[in-house]
Amino acid sequence: MSDTTFEKLRAQFPDAVLDVSEFRGDTTATITRETFLDVARFLRDEPDLQYDLLVDLTSIDRRDLGIEPRFVTVYELYSIPKNHSARLKVPLPWDNSTEMPQCPSVAAIWPTGNWHEREVYDLMGIGFTGHPWLHRILMPENWVGHPLRKDYPLGGEPVYFSSDRDNPRFAHLGKPIMEGPSYPSKLPDDVDSETHLVINVGPQHPATHGVLRLAVELDGERIVSVNPDIGYLHSGFEKTGENKRYEKFIPYTDRMDYLAAMNNNLAYVLTVEKLLEVEIPPRAQYIRVILAELQRIASHLFWIATHAHDVSGTIHSLLMYALRERERILDIFEMFCGARLTTSGMSVGGLRQDIPGAFPDAVRSFVSEFWKRLQDYEAMLTRNPIWLSRLKGVGILRAEDAVALGVTGPMLRAGGVPFDLRKAQPYSSYDHFDFDIPTATEADSYARYQVRMREMEQSLRIVEQAVNRLPEGPFCTDDRKVAPPPRSEIDLSMESLIHHFKLYTEGYKPPVGEVYGMAENPKGILGFFLVSDGTAIPYRLHVRGPSFVNLQATDLMARGHLLSDLITIIGTIDVVLGDVDR
Amino acid sequence: MDWISLLLVPAIKSLVVVVALLTGFAYLSYVERKLVARFQVRYGPNRAGPFGILQPISDALKMVFKEEIVPLNVDHVVYLLSPALTVMPALVIWAVIPVSGASFTLFGQTITPYVSDVNVGLLYILAIASLATYGIVLAGWSSNNKYSLLGALRTSSQMLSYELPMGITLVSVLLIAGSLSLVDIVQAQRGVWFALLQPIGFIIYFICGLAEAGRSPFDLPETENELVSGFATEYGGIKFALFFMGEYIHMITISALATTFFLGGWYGPFVNQIPVLGLVYFLIKVAFMIFLIVWIRASLPRIRYDKLMHFCWKFLLPLSLLNLVVTAVVLVLVG
Amino acid sequence: MLSDFTFVGILVLIAVLLPVVGLGLSWLIRPKKPNPVKQSTYECGIETIGDTWVQFRAQYYIYALVFVVFDIEAVFLLPWAVAYDQLPLYALTEAVIFVLILALALVYAWRKGALRWS
Repeated sequence: MSDTTFEKLRAQFPDAVLDVSEFRGDTTATITRETFLDVARFLRDEPDLQYDLLVDLTSIDRRDLGIEPRFVTVYELYSIPKNHSARLKVPLPWDNSTEMPQCPSVAAIWPTGNWHEREVYDLMGIGFTGHPWLHRILMPENWVGHPLRKDYPLGGEPVYFSSDRDNPRFAHLGKPIMEGPSYPSKLPDDVDSETHLVINVGPQHPATHGVLRLAVELDGERIVSVNPDIGYLHSGFEKTGENKRYEKFIPYTDRMDYLAAMNNNLAYVLTVEKLLEVEIPPRAQYIRVILAELQRIASHLFWIATHAHDVSGTIHSLLMYALRERERILDIFEMFCGARLTTSGMSVGGLRQDIPGAFPDAVRSFVSEFWKRLQDYEAMLTRNPIWLSRLKGVGILRAEDAVALGVTGPMLRAGGVPFDLRKAQPYSSYDHFDFDIPTATEADSYARYQVRMREMEQSLRIVEQAVNRLPEGPFCTDDRKVAPPPRSEIDLSMESLIHHFKLYTEGYKPPVGEVYGMAENPKGILGFFLVSDGTAIPYRLHVRGPSFVNLQATDLMARGHLLSDLITIIGTIDVVLGDVDR
Repeated sequence: MDWISLLLVPAIKSLVVVVALLTGFAYLSYVERKLVARFQVRYGPNRAGPFGILQPISDALKMVFKEEIVPLNVDHVVYLLSPALTVMPALVIWAVIPVSGASFTLFGQTITPYVSDVNVGLLYILAIASLATYGIVLAGWSSNNKYSLLGALRTSSQMLSYELPMGITLVSVLLIAGSLSLVDIVQAQRGVWFALLQPIGFIIYFICGLAEAGRSPFDLPETENELVSGFATEYGGIKFALFFMGEYIHMITISALATTFFLGGWYGPFVNQIPVLGLVYFLIKVAFMIFLIVWIRASLPRIRYDKLMHFCWKFLLPLSLLNLVVTAVVLVLVG
Repeated sequence: MLSDFTFVGILVLIAVLLPVVGLGLSWLIRPKKPNPVKQSTYECGIETIGDTWVQFRAQYYIYALVFVVFDIEAVFLLPWAVAYDQLPLYALTEAVIFVLILALALVYAWRKGALRWS
């Protein structure tokens, strides 16, 4: 499918394509910087290609690979109508005379590029010509350097505390001894704080679901603009990943979208497995599906709990009801892997261990009970006039805007686009199960509410089928280069012992190459971009957090609404800040 | 009239009312937390004393001992005055509410079951109730905080607006009762409760009461999910406790007034034979109304601000006017 | 009559005393350790942008205006209601006309868009 893309591209722009390569089914074309914008526009508009979704935009610093030019930007494209994907790479020649290499901005072609480019600018130090407002996005405004560059030193920086209670010199509690440097992020130039009320919603606010700051410009109670300020929770997962072995990054994925750890695990291990090209036994695939779908239900339950809470006030009962059910899912996770929230439940090559004997029954009893619970929730909300009046017509995000902004998951499907990776590009044997993709057409908050409620039902169907048809067999691959041998074998076989030793001291070494892996998370597409230089440590690891991309739509959705609606809108985006800031 | 019946007796009665209200407030906060906890499959407070029954006391102590934090840019006098302004009207309304039917004699003094039977009782209540708005508006304005300001503006227009249908509904009650005195209004319900004669009026009154007390689903002044804590954002310690007290006493007052105007006050079976039953009936009815309010809080989402205003002006107000006209016409027809 | 209001006055006095005692007691025993960070205005942990006391949109104010008109008119209904059973029949018609005028005013405000939140 991608072959035709690049044939067409070559025919249209004979000089633009420097190179086309294929690795693990991913086709990558290298495009010259000068022709890049034309190529991008062509790929988006050509009727046979229709790359309407810019899934991801990232960059690689190839200093340690010894390739010139040093910096390259990477664009992962996907076409929803045609269901094919392609990757573009744009090398950026840089002669050190300018402060940083420059790349043309795609924000006018795919508006989702706006934040992605800010992220690349912030972390990698690549300028984008023609970008509407190029400022740091994750790091503070006063940060020195660009952390993802390979010459950026590893190590700590001073952490400022406002009081030091252990120090006898400052025994008076709460007396500030050292003011943490405060550099409030800049607001866009068109924000008018003279005649309008500019109010901060967050970072310390009950309704922002974490440390998210929205500088809201208000005219009366009507929203003029919303300016999200993120990065409070940024912990440099990408840099960490580039200094750890592949397997060791799994616990970090738990902490990205911490409400959907299993889904994160799944997306990551699928990407590494794609790089390694290992076969996963069907039993492991089914169990992964069960875990991922239970996690999807848990994530949606947390969403409905907090959303109802936001719209209603602290005392609304649905919060506790939904969390009670989520607790049962966490019990099932605990039964499987001992952990509840940060599960690290999957490992490259399959699972860490097989499910315990009581697991299928626990899942079955949960499923049968949850069908009834779901109806209770619907009885509380679906036709409640106040609920309807708060959600209907609020925060409309039309399908074309959603695609342009890269918004995926339930938010996109609520606009009527039946795009779900589980159907479009089935992974982990999702094609074995019978389920539907719920969509709606109104594209408002109520449509998103309904889509998520229906999605829980579909997840239940998948779990039901998977647990009833669970195949027998091994729970992880027998490729000893990837997965450790069972404990009993180590006592008997010298070879197993060596495998075990090698795996835990050196890890596995994937071939040189780069892959992009995606999976449908509860919040949208979670993507991992891995570049292997042949060692056991990824050379480049990039994460596309669905919440990060979806959050970009806040401004568009909230303009012209009332302040109360902003709370509804944040709720329906279902944002998790661990996923936004990474 | 001697000084005992003119000063001492009413002073003692006032003290009893205030102490009862304070206890009522403290235990209402406990009961609400317990009730909501049961609605939400939780336990609620259960650490301080058996079944957490000492929780209100520990809360009160905590509030009193809290450090005072006054932001630098506030308007100090108004900032300090407004919590007091919120509590006072809530207490003062109780001067005219009769809690029982029968007077009794103690040490030769006839003790009436109310502080005062003002002949313009209903007017007095409407007047005092609208004073409560001041405390909240001034608090929001003086805090110099954007959340407080928005909360205060919302409160003022919400409370003003909902006073109208409430007032007009009470005119319908007056039509039937023919007196502004609350004692007379209760006595007019000897046969039939006004809730049965005025079902629409009762519902309008209840809705307006929720809005006036700032209770869910009309808790727009606070809206913790949007405005952090609304008008009370910059308040802490005892000053916050006073706001809290004002809100809860207001809730008791609304329930007591609903009981007085619509649920027959102290009337109930055998109340003439055993006079003390009157107080019991009154309390049971008030408790029932409070339970309703808490129940609503636990199950309904919050109305958006503009819809709240529309609901009042475009639905409740015309409905209350219609109710008034219908009541007047029916009264003439019945004779 | 006068004594009734004396009783009310006594309750008012006690009601005033209550918050004063509360605030005073707390003032006596609570700790006082202010510092600039504690005393800063709360705005979600961020320094405030712009001024709070800015010119504000008039939506709330229009409601207040309409309210004043209606509240005064509603007050006129109270004496009529109290004396209702002693009034002749034409009092009813008069009152109905009065309420109709009230309703008309509401319709007027409604049509004028005073009740629209914009």
